[in-house]
Amino acid sequence: MEGFFSTYGAAIVQMALAGVLALSLYLPLMAGQLSLASPGFYAVGGYVAALLSTQVFTGYPNGSYPIPLIALEMIVAGVISAIFAILIGIPSLRLRGIYLALATIAFVEILRVFALNQPWLGGAVGIYNIPQPFFSATRVEYLLLALPLLLGATLFVARLERSRIGRAFIALREDELAASAMGIRPTYYKVLAFTIGAILAGMAGALNAHILNTWNARQGTFDLAILILAYVLVGGSRTFLGPVIGGAFLVALPEIILREVAGTPGLNPVIATFLRDGRLILFGVLIAVSVFFFPYGLITPNLFKRRKKSAEPSVETATAAPKVSRGEL
Amino acid sequence: MSEAIVLEVRHITRRFGGLYAVDNVSFAVQRGEIFGLIGPNGAGKTTLFNVITGMTPPTHGELFYEGINITNKRPHEIAMLGVARTFQNIRLFGTLTALENVMIARHIHTKSGVLEGVLGLPPAPQEERAVRQRAMELLELVGLAEAAEMQARNFSYGDQRRLEIARALALEPKLLLLDEPAAGMNQNEKSALSAFIRSIREQFNLTIVLIEHYVPLVMGLCDRIAVLNFGQLIALGAPEAVQNDPAVIEAYLGE
Ligand SMILES: Nc1ncnc2c1ncn2[C@@H]1O[C@H](COP(=O)(O)OP(=O)(O)OP(=O)(O)O)[C@@H](O)[C@H]1O
Ligand SMILES: [Mg+2]
Repeated sequence: MEGFFSTYGAAIVQMALAGVLALSLYLPLMAGQLSLASPGFYAVGGYVAALLSTQVFTGYPNGSYPIPLIALEMIVAGVISAIFAILIGIPSLRLRGIYLALATIAFVEILRVFALNQPWLGGAVGIYNIPQPFFSATRVEYLLLALPLLLGATLFVARLERSRIGRAFIALREDELAASAMGIRPTYYKVLAFTIGAILAGMAGALNAHILNTWNARQGTFDLAILILAYVLVGGSRTFLGPVIGGAFLVALPEIILREVAGTPGLNPVIATFLRDGRLILFGVLIAVSVFFFPYGLITPNLFKRRKKSAEPSVETATAAPKVSRGEL
Repeated sequence: MSEAIVLEVRHITRRFGGLYAVDNVSFAVQRGEIFGLIGPNGAGKTTLFNVITGMTPPTHGELFYEGINITNKRPHEIAMLGVARTFQNIRLFGTLTALENVMIARHIHTKSGVLEGVLGLPPAPQEERAVRQRAMELLELVGLAEAAEMQARNFSYGDQRRLEIARALALEPKLLLLDEPAAGMNQNEKSALSAFIRSIREQFNLTIVLIEHYVPLVMGLCDRIAVLNFGQLIALGAPEAVQNDPAVIEAYLGE
């Protein structure tokens, strides 16, 4: 067990963070909005943590940086991301479909170039020597922070999905015009979903700044947006479980599973080499295949309903039943 | 403005390019009446509904609901004032269950925010129970209670129309706009629907504006009828008077 964690601890932490980032993209998608802005908020969160821990909360010897301070940084990162999200969301969420996606990519790119050129953000080098709370080479201890963040985010979204606000989001996704005819204010709820997603991304960035020990303009770029999108599309875009499992699975796939399989003794060396070096190709194929065959991802709400359904009357009898009472209408 | 008038349409025009979909139409709907809106295909009936509900801005003219100028209001604002509608080309939340469809329409009558909902703090749990119960009652009213957990898109055409009515009623509207509610129903269903519309008017104190092609239904049900043709109002009055109006006969025969 110890060997497992020392080998895979860091990967498991990244699986958890991927789940949180996937949820941050899933939230606006719940309200029907394809936003690729998550890496931008993730970058903002990372810089917030990097600045606070290297310039404000100084004086702690490396290896003993207090965990509550990291939690506080995550909260500050969430608040600042939320402010950014509201400012950006109000104008850009009036755009639809691909135009919104493009606007959010532009936001991510502007942030990157901005960070690159700001001396107070460390320019191209970024901010380094971000203090660590643990003496550890494997960083598996970061699970103590990453898992609660993932768990909290997952429970939050799971509960939200079944609440009044979550239903308003979903109504907008299903049919914006019909939702507005039901008194649901489209812009308000789109900005709200976008903002909650931004908070999650900002918190993930703050945590990862400590894990990586350094933060710079290469964190939270367009590439990451595509990865996060893949987590959601492969995992599932119609239930909170989809992004969480998609994120964990797609991070684990190259990091753990393929490496493990490639190391099987007696495996044909050509296959082993391909599994090791060609894993990103496999990864890409997997995304393409799953999006093609499972438009709502691998995890769908019906997975949990099917069993119940078979016990219920079939579609025909269920509609036939009310017809009997139709005369009373 | 008189208390008796619920909706006033004043010189409403809506142009699409060179096409006058609605052309200088004026009328007033009285409180409690069932007001029919008829006319040949493409006459502008649905466009007029879209204008009234804020979904299509008018090119000219003004709209008053309960004495309030709603001409430039957004759809959700108009819904919040008490105007609900159904859609000719059914717009249910297809992948959601019937129950969820109706629950969503309780939005304006509940107020739990994000934290109340997520943490289960008051008033969220009570609201949730009440919303569910109210939604079930409305499904029962339209005869769909047994199918509450079924996905809306799996319903038959007629049942989808009934579900849209239940969803609209969940808003507790004062003015209900029905766009071809009988389309796709058989003869028996149509006459049942007629009785149903009358009964919900009584039960919920509604004023109803109804678009319908099926003339017997309109004639038997409506207190007054307005006839549109090529966007223009060509007749307005009691069913018998409209039925015998030469301009109306001309519009229908000329099709
Ligand atoms: N968004 C739009 N853009 C352009 N033209 C439109 C638009 N909506 C409606 N029209 C046109 O306006 C006219 C009126 O259409 P509308 O749907 O209001 O008619 P209707 O009376 O409801 O007809 P039906 O009985 O077939 O439902 C039609 O000629 C239609 O093609
Ligand atoms: Mg129409």
